[in-house]
Amino acid sequence: MEDYDVIIIGGGVNGLTTSAYLARSGLKTLVLEARGECGAHCDTTEPGLPGFTHNLHATWLIQAMSPCIEDLGLVDRFGLEHVTTEYCYAKTFQDGKNVLMGVDPLLTFNSWEKHSEKDALFFMKAADYMMNNMEDAKGVFHDFLYLAPSEENLKATGNVISNLMAACDMDLTFNQIWNMNGFDLSCKLFESEYVRTLIQSLTWIAGMPPIHPSVGSMGTLLTMLCGPFFPIHQTKGGSHALTHSLVKAATTYGARILPCCPVKEIIIQHGTAKGVQLSEHSVFPNEKIFAKKIISNLTLIPTFRHLIKEEHIGSKMAAIIDKFDYNEQNLFATYWALDGAPQFASADYDDGIQRCYTGYFGGKDTEAMKRFNTDLVNRVIHPDIRANWFVPSLTDPTQAPEGCHTAFVWLDAPPQPKSWKHGALNGLPAWDDIKEKMADQVAATFEKYAPGFKKLIKDQIIYTPFDMQRNNPSAVLGNWLGGSVIPSQWYMNRPVKGVLNGGGSRTFVKNLYLSNSIHLFSYSGLSSGYIAASEVAEDMGTREQDWWTHKALEWYIDNMSEIPQNLGVR
Amino acid sequence: MKKKAYDVAIIGAGPNGLICAAYLAKAGLKVILLEARHETGGGLDTLEFAGFKYNPHAIYHMMADLMPVYKDFNLRERGVRFIFPEVQAAYISKKNSPLVLYRDPKKTSDYISTTFSARDGEAYSRMYRDFKEYSEKILIPLTYVPAVPPLEQVQILNRAQDDVGRRFNEIAELPPIEILEQYSFSDPVKAGILNLFTMWGLSPHEALGYIFPLYVYRMTQAALCSGGSHRLSSAIHKAIVASGGAISDDSRVVKILMKDGKTSGVLLEDGTEIKTSAVASTVDPHQTFLQFFDDGQIPGFLRDGAKKWEWEKCTLFGTHLALRGAPTYINTESSPDANRAMITFLGIDDTDALLDHQNALEDGNVPEGDLFGHTTCASLFDPIQAPEGYHTGRWECLVPYDNDWEKNKWDYARLCVDQWKSYAPNLDPINMLVYPPTYIEKKIRNMVRGSIKQGAYVPLQMGYFRPTDTCSQCHTPVDGLYVCGASVYPGGMIIGGPGYIGANTIAEDFGIDKWWQEIDSVKQARKNGIIQD
Repeated sequence: MEDYDVIIIGGGVNGLTTSAYLARSGLKTLVLEARGECGAHCDTTEPGLPGFTHNLHATWLIQAMSPCIEDLGLVDRFGLEHVTTEYCYAKTFQDGKNVLMGVDPLLTFNSWEKHSEKDALFFMKAADYMMNNMEDAKGVFHDFLYLAPSEENLKATGNVISNLMAACDMDLTFNQIWNMNGFDLSCKLFESEYVRTLIQSLTWIAGMPPIHPSVGSMGTLLTMLCGPFFPIHQTKGGSHALTHSLVKAATTYGARILPCCPVKEIIIQHGTAKGVQLSEHSVFPNEKIFAKKIISNLTLIPTFRHLIKEEHIGSKMAAIIDKFDYNEQNLFATYWALDGAPQFASADYDDGIQRCYTGYFGGKDTEAMKRFNTDLVNRVIHPDIRANWFVPSLTDPTQAPEGCHTAFVWLDAPPQPKSWKHGALNGLPAWDDIKEKMADQVAATFEKYAPGFKKLIKDQIIYTPFDMQRNNPSAVLGNWLGGSVIPSQWYMNRPVKGVLNGGGSRTFVKNLYLSNSIHLFSYSGLSSGYIAASEVAEDMGTREQDWWTHKALEWYIDNMSEIPQNLGVR
Repeated sequence: MKKKAYDVAIIGAGPNGLICAAYLAKAGLKVILLEARHETGGGLDTLEFAGFKYNPHAIYHMMADLMPVYKDFNLRERGVRFIFPEVQAAYISKKNSPLVLYRDPKKTSDYISTTFSARDGEAYSRMYRDFKEYSEKILIPLTYVPAVPPLEQVQILNRAQDDVGRRFNEIAELPPIEILEQYSFSDPVKAGILNLFTMWGLSPHEALGYIFPLYVYRMTQAALCSGGSHRLSSAIHKAIVASGGAISDDSRVVKILMKDGKTSGVLLEDGTEIKTSAVASTVDPHQTFLQFFDDGQIPGFLRDGAKKWEWEKCTLFGTHLALRGAPTYINTESSPDANRAMITFLGIDDTDALLDHQNALEDGNVPEGDLFGHTTCASLFDPIQAPEGYHTGRWECLVPYDNDWEKNKWDYARLCVDQWKSYAPNLDPINMLVYPPTYIEKKIRNMVRGSIKQGAYVPLQMGYFRPTDTCSQCHTPVDGLYVCGASVYPGGMIIGGPGYIGANTIAEDFGIDKWWQEIDSVKQARKNGIIQD
């Protein structure tokens, strides 16, 4: 095979983003994807009853804030369409109450006011401050998310946050916040346990577990502004539609994308990455391909420990990399095809929940949320189900036949469980044995919050952390964030100290870049792919492009009012 | 989607829609390909679930690299790798040694001679030689040129320099069962060969002699697409995008628009109108002529013809497994090659039983008890289709459409797995996906009543009559409307004929330069007088 300027290992959405930027900047670019389909975690499939599509990984997507939308023309040229619901997040409780967040801040205010006037006012002040200072915030936000981590960017972000706190009459500095965990910060900011657990749960499912200092507190601030400032959407046609638009963009800009091409080795000579060799099972068996730059969109351990011989990295670095943690944020998922939309019991309290496509049930107060977290850390499956529910077809009716709906529940689960209800379990393989029972319990819990739910079920698909790892071995233990988001693997430390030069995507191996397991973490905001694209283009001298000029949130702010809501609410 | 104007809208992004769009986009026409589902590919469908790749529709391709699209678009470079398993088929028996059909006809003939009888082995060689000649000189080239009226076709073949035309004419109108009798096979060889045809729900008694040789020859030369069948459609998809063609998913066409007696565009379910000068439909005649047009908008005989369209009598029930190991079959100790067959047939070793089974199916009975099934373990040849250390297993068997499949699917799937296990006792599934006939129709709208070929293969719906004598050459009596899907000559089964013929026809009508060359087998057939202008 001919030589390339750039080879990208892994055609997930971040790898595809990088490829589209670099190809458009004029570099000869090749993407090698191990799976049959690109977009491993933006995957829409029809695994059961036809007509019901399920997004087995990412479902709510936040690429709307990414500069890629305009730089790459994803919406204007490549068919990407965003859809949303009036309410973007809900938490529903056993006492029949609920608490909601809306795309419009007033909706959030109205819901929170029922629980605490103080919390509602605080939210409104924060939202107002952000909306009024959007221009400043935009630049800071862009630099924080779409550039390599740096003390300077952190300081700029800190200033915005300190000003935000002052504007909300909250006596908290950024430094204090950075050292707090999410539980403590949410308790400090809010008085209502309804609001607190709403934010804690959202922080959690957004990938920043509240138990950790800085990770959890930054997550709290980010998710608190969910809706008006921090967009969450679906793409029409399911998450894979994002993959489709990126594949179309990259292909149009001249990148070559080859699925079914697992790499077995990154070829390194004299400490410099030179190329790759494909697996014997790939569609180009054992082929060697050379390039000036190699970008791995696989996570840390598969990149450095499976594709690179230890002699090239040294035993000391190998030992550091081996400690990289994948144990948190792994999901047990149950997907359903439904005869109609679930009717939440708490709709009597506030029927906005029926116009919301995702939320959380279980964990009535901060103490309960903490207990769940403790079990998770101890690799124990918590006896009660506390989980994130979705009804994606409320947003995007193309995902279910007329009159029908899809729903699913994601339950944070220890990927290598030691026990469940006093029964010992043998880690990851246990999921094949307990999955049916676990799914039954999840459905029974959904029934408690939405009576009549079980009667709606036409089909059920179970997807465990073990399935996720089998689906995509780069997602070790089924971790969907490119490795746990914990303080030792966060911001300047990510993925682990010593791997990156400058904290962006350049690794200690010359000409080898990493676009996964890096800052922020792997998510649909497409920041890690953007960072890798920027740095490789800088190093190749192709960064200056008249189309490569947009900032984070630009597209979203200009277009948010036109994103259709509630297309599937009947 | 923003309203835009195109030269051609192609309805349906199955293999034929994709092929047609690819040629025309590369030729410089402004093309939009519209697909109702969230994913293109139609029957080229690979479901990737938890690291296992399942192919609920097409899995082995009898025309693989013979399809012009493969070479014209250099699909190999786009990552399409066809794998041709050495052992193409094995019939596992509870009574006998297995019948093994190799890709190499000499190996098959030797195997049959040693295992069954020298006479059958010799007959296999003769039959294979004949069928190969009919296929290569006549049937393959005819797959990629427009249909010719039957009488004219017979005359052309009779007049051709090569006497293969005359020999072929002698069998072309015979039922397959009679053709086989000319070679005096005995069972189980006879049953095995006949089944390569009947496994698709095709009747051994209908006058389908003109396609039988192609099926037998090509079903012993078939290929798997590495990574699953969808890789083939995905590569064509990228070729379209690279040429600037537009592809729109979740875009179901509900009407074809007309202006001044000519097609002017299409209307989508969501209300979007797309303006085009030509429309090519690759979907079935019901949708094309009965749903996309209102009564009186097009000549009545087109709508009447569509109303008479017959769906297939039998369809398929699929059960897809994630396996801990590859199956090892009974009675294969002396023929271990049977364990590495691309298709493993279970329960078929007797022609009478096969015919009884076929009759029962045609009467609408659901086979129970000793099921005739065929299985494929694609990961044996293509390990990339399963996670390391695991395998995929696919079971299919013929069933009638009429049954309460939604209610019975899991019970019937368990019956299938039990039957499979009785032939492969080590079968160890960790996951099972069912794929009853109702799913076929729900997933792919063209496959009404589970018709995998978009309509029955009966003489009145074949050749020049597919779908009707006025539409089989891709043109239709409606100005600007073309048809080029599986319901059009030469039919379905991922042979890539209709879409290719469609592209040729549309390119000629638009007067654009065809950047592609006619394929070699067509050139040769022209030289031999088998194809005439």
